[in-house]
Amino acid sequence: MFKLAKPTLVAAAVAGSLVAGAVNAGEQFGFGRTATAEEIAGWDIDVRPDGMGLPVGSGSVLDGEGLYEAQCASCHGLFGEGEGRWPVLSGGQGTLADERPTKTVGSYWPYASTLYDYIYRAMPFPAPRSLTPDQTYAISAYVLYLNEIVDEDFVLTNENLADVKMPNEPNFFVDPRPDVANTRCMSDCADPAALQVTGSIGGVTPVGHFIEGADGPAASHEAQHELEKKMEMERLKELGVEVEEEEASSEPAALSEAAVAGEATYNMACVACHGAGIAGAPKVGDKGAWEARIARGMESMISNAINGYAGDNGVMPAKGGRADLSDEAVANAVAYMAESSQ
Amino acid sequence: MGNIIKGPSTRELMQQLVTDSEGMTVNDRRDFLRKGIAAVGGMAAATVAGGANAADAMINSTNLPPNEPSWGRMLGHGVIEYPYGQPSKYESHVVRRTVPWLTAESISSISMTPLHELKGIITPNGLVFERYHGGVPTINPEEHRLIIHGLVERPLIFTMEDLMRFPSVSVIKFLECPANGGMEWRGTQMEALQFTHGMLSCCEWTGVPLKVLLEEAGVKPEGKWVLAEGADGAHMSRSIPLEKCLDDALIVYAQNGEMLRPEQGYPVRLMNPGWEGNTSIKWLRRLEVGDKPWYHREETSKYTDLMADGTARKFTFVQECNSVITSPCPENPIKGSGMIEIEGIAWSGRGKIKQVDISFDGGVSWTPANLKGLVLDKALTRFSLVTKWDGQPWLLQARAIDETGYVQPTLQQLRDVRGTESIYHKNSIHTWQVSNTGEVKNVQVS
Repeated sequence: MFKLAKPTLVAAAVAGSLVAGAVNAGEQFGFGRTATAEEIAGWDIDVRPDGMGLPVGSGSVLDGEGLYEAQCASCHGLFGEGEGRWPVLSGGQGTLADERPTKTVGSYWPYASTLYDYIYRAMPFPAPRSLTPDQTYAISAYVLYLNEIVDEDFVLTNENLADVKMPNEPNFFVDPRPDVANTRCMSDCADPAALQVTGSIGGVTPVGHFIEGADGPAASHEAQHELEKKMEMERLKELGVEVEEEEASSEPAALSEAAVAGEATYNMACVACHGAGIAGAPKVGDKGAWEARIARGMESMISNAINGYAGDNGVMPAKGGRADLSDEAVANAVAYMAESSQ
Repeated sequence: MGNIIKGPSTRELMQQLVTDSEGMTVNDRRDFLRKGIAAVGGMAAATVAGGANAADAMINSTNLPPNEPSWGRMLGHGVIEYPYGQPSKYESHVVRRTVPWLTAESISSISMTPLHELKGIITPNGLVFERYHGGVPTINPEEHRLIIHGLVERPLIFTMEDLMRFPSVSVIKFLECPANGGMEWRGTQMEALQFTHGMLSCCEWTGVPLKVLLEEAGVKPEGKWVLAEGADGAHMSRSIPLEKCLDDALIVYAQNGEMLRPEQGYPVRLMNPGWEGNTSIKWLRRLEVGDKPWYHREETSKYTDLMADGTARKFTFVQECNSVITSPCPENPIKGSGMIEIEGIAWSGRGKIKQVDISFDGGVSWTPANLKGLVLDKALTRFSLVTKWDGQPWLLQARAIDETGYVQPTLQQLRDVRGTESIYHKNSIHTWQVSNTGEVKNVQVS
């Protein structure tokens, strides 16, 4: 196997049968140590279609409804229809061969175990690994119910999950590529007169990267969000719908020093949830959502932001899941959000 | 378009003017700034119109021969002004960029490498494209562990120090998201190479063959698949066939000579050369050996390829042979008539690039290009063809062939087999339309 850099006399003398400096085939390095059952159990969260890995537990569609509405609906929609660009979870059955297919848990996913596995390992998006197995069974059951795969009185358990059959399972097959056979033609490979050249549809390239203030797709998610909000307002105005002008007038309230310092942290770490009001997060600028919180005092808000907080409507992970942020940076970001929402 | 893309903003130009004038005498400076500000005004108009070369307007002629330039009449900064060095401030436009409308927010999202600015085959660490499913975790390497368990004789747990004691190997391999180019199955959308092909990078990766670690643990005969899992909030996971793990998969902790960047999985990641980037699990914390695949979210809901008839391909691991011309391209228009080097990159997840051909007429006839520099297994390979351009319109294409004999297909060939909804693995011949002004547009030819 691997040659040692310098054969040592000791090694050669002790192991007489060894070629000096070489290692016996099959000999191991022995680095690392045996992992304990307890260490493995803490991390071994995966689940397979045959039920391997499922912890003992259960959850009903009914239990799942409340959990789903609190933890999932702000992104995925009350009925799994998906808010904005967040994933659609339900519907779409029978659309996979359409021009615009809708791939959802019910229309596309081959195994119910994937639902449990993914929710348990990665959801809710702002607070992964915050759900118990029973909560995960319940939310999985509810999403299956939204897809009309189980009835409203269904209880999902470690015993029956592997028996839940997903309608699209038979339609997956293993990669058959290479699936096309081009040839290395060098001349007269096509009829020049028959060539059809189609250009790109306009207004798609994010020109915001290159032209300041460009009237087109923006360079950042925040700027794109603003742009789309503006377009929606204009559309509504054109339709004659009365729209509330943006709080441009309320904006200029001078920010404190801490709030000014907190804006950058907000844009980097908090905006994903607090910009759009995801997972029960109070949306910045939504005075109603902030009023009661501000009334409880900055200290309470800062403490919840730093240490984490589980409320009726959602979860605030400690520092928003950004352990790299200092307490001060989090406090400043809270000041920025609160002062921008008064 | 090219001028617009490279042109700095008015604000940047003003800042640059002020900086450039530092070190001048008061009179010179006043004169310089007055002229420069007038030029910036004219420049802004020219940029928007895509007109004359904007950068020329900004040249400070007092720095040109026969004058001694300002930087030759003063001292520069000393050592360790930047203990970790940075690119020149004049290269500030060479950055990763995202397409915000693709994803709901920036945490589970993707950014692209500025391929049009890169030379050779190595992607600098700060420019390697980003793809996160739950953002970049901040991991203390002292507290990071890798566990190998499941169908093994001896479950193992490694510290980073343990992993780095194993004899290391270094390999140059490309890394590509299978969604690269996936925005253009139905038609062209993106007027920039960075967005059509930028989910692609190539680095020298250093680490331990996964085979060595699996031998330490002793895979049981029933073991056929390995689940790889990340330590990030998404706990990103993929099932990898044992065959790949024992072939060329690596556990890597370094890229281009330094420890992995946080964006690339610091302190340790899996590297499956030639395969979909997402299988090279970043922030790797766990490898479980099993007898069957796990069918997790990123190998069912995502990273499966929907065919026109509604069926779907699973475990589409290989990134097939692909190529693209990087100069000229929308960001790099042709600057003037005369000699020109057509340059680009080719790559294949099945091995080495054998040949690249170039077409100037939309694929009717082809001319062999030269491969230059290193030609490595599953690595970016640079190709080149020196020719003449005298203002004639071109439909410029590159077509790569790998050592298995696979010839990069046309988009029509792919569509005929797969339809237009498969999102991933669009490795078709790409077309740039060069106009008589040298401007380059993204088009499709059928």
